[in-house]
Amino acid sequence: MMSTRTNQTINQTAQFRILSPDQKQRIFEGMIETLRDTGVHLHHEEARALLKEHGALIDDITVRIPQNLVLDALATVPPVTIVQSWDGTRKTRIEKNQVLFGPGPTPPNYTDPDTLERRKYVKNDASVVARVCEALPNIGFVQSLGTISDVTVSLADVYEFAEMIQNTTKPILSWSYTRDTCSDIHQIAVAMAGSEEAFKRCPNYVFYGEPISPLLSDFHAMDKLIYNAKHGIPQVYTPCCIGGATVPATHAGQLVCAFSESMLGVVVAQLLNPGTCVIMGGVQSIMDMQYSVYAYGSPELSLMSAALTEMAQYAGLPMFSTAGCTDTKTLDVQGAIEAATSVHSAMLSGANFIHDVGYFESGMTGSVLQLVMADEQIGMSHVVAKGIDVNEETLAVEEICQVGPGGNYSDRDHTRKHAGALWEPTLMDRQRYEDWADQGQTTMRDRVIAKARDIIANFEGPISKVPPEAKKKIEDILKAAEEREAKKAAAEKK
Amino acid sequence: MLEKTMLIKMNQQAYGTTMFQILTEDQIEQIYYAALDVLEVSGARMLHTEALKLFEKSDAVVSDNDRVRVPTSLVEQALQSCPSKAALSDRNGKRSIKLQKNEVAFGCGADATFVYDLKAGERRKCTFADVETAAKIVDSLPNFDFCMSFGVVSDARNPKSHDRHQFMAMVKNCTKPLMVTSVDAEGLKDQWQMACLVRGGEKEFRLNPLFATYIPSDTPLVYPKEMVDRLLFATEKGIPVVYSSCCGMGVTAPATIAGVLVQTLADSLVALVLSHLQKPGMPLVLGGIQTLMDENRKSFYFGSPELHLTSAAIAEVYKWLELSSSAPGGCSDSKMVDEQAASESVMSVYNSFMAGTNLIHHAGSLEGGLTASLAGLVMCNEVIAMVKQIGKGIEVTDESLALDLLKEIGPGGEFLSHDHTFDHFRDWFQPTVIDRSNWETWTNAGSKTYQDRLVPEIERLLEAYQPEPLDEKLIQEMKKIISLADKKEV
Repeated sequence: MMSTRTNQTINQTAQFRILSPDQKQRIFEGMIETLRDTGVHLHHEEARALLKEHGALIDDITVRIPQNLVLDALATVPPVTIVQSWDGTRKTRIEKNQVLFGPGPTPPNYTDPDTLERRKYVKNDASVVARVCEALPNIGFVQSLGTISDVTVSLADVYEFAEMIQNTTKPILSWSYTRDTCSDIHQIAVAMAGSEEAFKRCPNYVFYGEPISPLLSDFHAMDKLIYNAKHGIPQVYTPCCIGGATVPATHAGQLVCAFSESMLGVVVAQLLNPGTCVIMGGVQSIMDMQYSVYAYGSPELSLMSAALTEMAQYAGLPMFSTAGCTDTKTLDVQGAIEAATSVHSAMLSGANFIHDVGYFESGMTGSVLQLVMADEQIGMSHVVAKGIDVNEETLAVEEICQVGPGGNYSDRDHTRKHAGALWEPTLMDRQRYEDWADQGQTTMRDRVIAKARDIIANFEGPISKVPPEAKKKIEDILKAAEEREAKKAAAEKK
Repeated sequence: MLEKTMLIKMNQQAYGTTMFQILTEDQIEQIYYAALDVLEVSGARMLHTEALKLFEKSDAVVSDNDRVRVPTSLVEQALQSCPSKAALSDRNGKRSIKLQKNEVAFGCGADATFVYDLKAGERRKCTFADVETAAKIVDSLPNFDFCMSFGVVSDARNPKSHDRHQFMAMVKNCTKPLMVTSVDAEGLKDQWQMACLVRGGEKEFRLNPLFATYIPSDTPLVYPKEMVDRLLFATEKGIPVVYSSCCGMGVTAPATIAGVLVQTLADSLVALVLSHLQKPGMPLVLGGIQTLMDENRKSFYFGSPELHLTSAAIAEVYKWLELSSSAPGGCSDSKMVDEQAASESVMSVYNSFMAGTNLIHHAGSLEGGLTASLAGLVMCNEVIAMVKQIGKGIEVTDESLALDLLKEIGPGGEFLSHDHTFDHFRDWFQPTVIDRSNWETWTNAGSKTYQDRLVPEIERLLEAYQPEPLDEKLIQEMKKIISLADKKEV
């Protein structure tokens, strides 16, 4: 018999904290106070009426929300929400500290993976991005990395979703222009799920909507939120706050603002459908004062995103965070520095959906190359984040004593048993100089480009598994949407 | 009157910095106890007669010629005698590096065979001039706190005296504290004599050391004569030792990270005990490179995430033991400054910084330490600044919460023109080589990548920066020491 260990606390992962409990409490109180005293501008009559009915003070478009409404809303948010892929093979849990990385939506430009030129984003790119996401092991959800330019302008959102959902089983975070297209996307998702009931049992996508900083929700953002809340579709309701421009330059003030803006969505959604999933967060960074650019690669983005994640966890809400993005204009060292920094911060923070992986140029250009590079960085970050297993077997005292000082571990059973758990790089080169030189002196950039092109050329994705009925239904939905938009356009001309 | 009313929010506790932890105290204890077991059961091999005598005189058990098994009581006596803090002082005597809990300092890489010339796009042997240039750059970069010899001086007259030349190249061009490597104890002695000249005497040096000696060990639990010579000399003279225990997982160490931590700690504790037996109370910084290795080549991978994790964890173990720590950071297996070098540098700097590692060395090293790069130094300077910014955490005060400001500006307003923004935006990280301009500005400036921009930045730094000159008389006296070494037989 061996003696037995008692009273052990172990870190099952690394622990990372920005805010103390007192600091979180103060930021939380700041959010309560802001919604109650400063209020928000809400450009949606129906939502204002609803809030008024529940005790909010309405003054024209300004809504001041009493604290009990906020606390009541937080009491009904779900601790866990499950999203299931249309083919039933993949379940994604939205719950505290469950981390996923993915790209972001809607940049106007796209880096062509063949020519490496910056160009407009086209319909086919959406399916390519979805396939690349499907292929990359460390990417957990899908967004488009662009806005489709070669379809009816007002339906770019719907075409994007139709393309993507057939090419991936990973959850898509979709966006839309209006409630109409929001509903089109919902219908496509239902078609893919097989039936209304199947979708209701377990939704197969998450919706992404945006209030505007500071403290403003426009009509469409709120209109879509209402639609998704009523249909039980999990949704992100998060602002892009620009420190020093749309929110205070001090991080605590920015966190209060961002938190308040998301909370308005949480309150409305919980009033409409208690228990529906609303995800807070957003892009949190600062205005670069030299170039007047929203800095996507700043360390402040990492810091505030991690802190806001802690606020979401404090409030019991899931978190939509940001990482893997950069202000560089091409795949280079800057992109690698900025992405690695934010990826590791976001990983350690435990945010749920960490988006914008693959953004170049402060969100103006999407790039699967940056995405492929970040996938490797996420893999590295994961090794550190998962911490260290400490037990008799891993401590290996007997093993060390048997091998003895200066001994060789190469041929040991213990080594054979555990060496497989070590991380295998796919893009990092560890060869000696001569071998590397013989093989063409590639940089990581070269290897990233080759890997991305290989995936695009050879990885088919799940498209062949899409049921023909679903394909047909999607075509019908798109056709109906085209007709509706044509009518709208004609009416507008009159 | 309202302004005289006392306003205080009580019982508040804030995180003054970002908090990061890999292991719990219970897990650290497990690792420590396991290391003590290793020292008592299988021990270490001490290939040094004088050191063996020291162990024989102690409670340690010496057997099989050179096997030393160390009882826990002796290890803990040695731990007790370690100073809780030490410091390194710069050339002017200012204490600029605190070797105390959670204080972090960064330095460049050491003893590379080659340098990568970014402008020429090629690798070549390192020379005296290269070490001088790098020392200048390190002196000028705000996020570097100490200097190591960028590379091995290959153009020294005597292949066994290059360490003295490296010392000269650094001390002449950089006022920051140094971390030096030595060929052998004779080399260390010469370097120490040169440092005593700068400092104005042996006792002054002991009180305010100008450098720490970096002693790497690449065979865990084996102590070669030449290494022990240096350790004993440094202990005798009060030169802070950075004992750098290196191993390759699954080759010279177990393939489990916990096992690597146990073996590394055991190895370092033997050095600690030896130093204690020689002279109690000497500052010892424990560190090393615990990573994967190329079995054939016997070289260590400098960019593996296992290295990043193990470095952070071992620093936590040393903090718990109230010892100082060191680890590599800002280094890579890439052959040049590319996206791989950037990714690996960020990860190592990030984790070791957050773990509170005292001396983070080898920033800017490429190819597993075989190649040094000025471009790598400049890149790491920026990486370190970014990581430090994240490490600052977030201040939560009335001023920073800015609730009144939010109320004043209101929904839909703007903050750009407000004084509050003007007062605080300078607290943000300021890019140096990182470029945030928009597409048009960037393409108009020639569509230059980060790597492209590094070349002129290095040139700018070298042109703009003049290191503080070292007294010519001192240089002449130091040259005498070097020239004696140059003339020694190989």
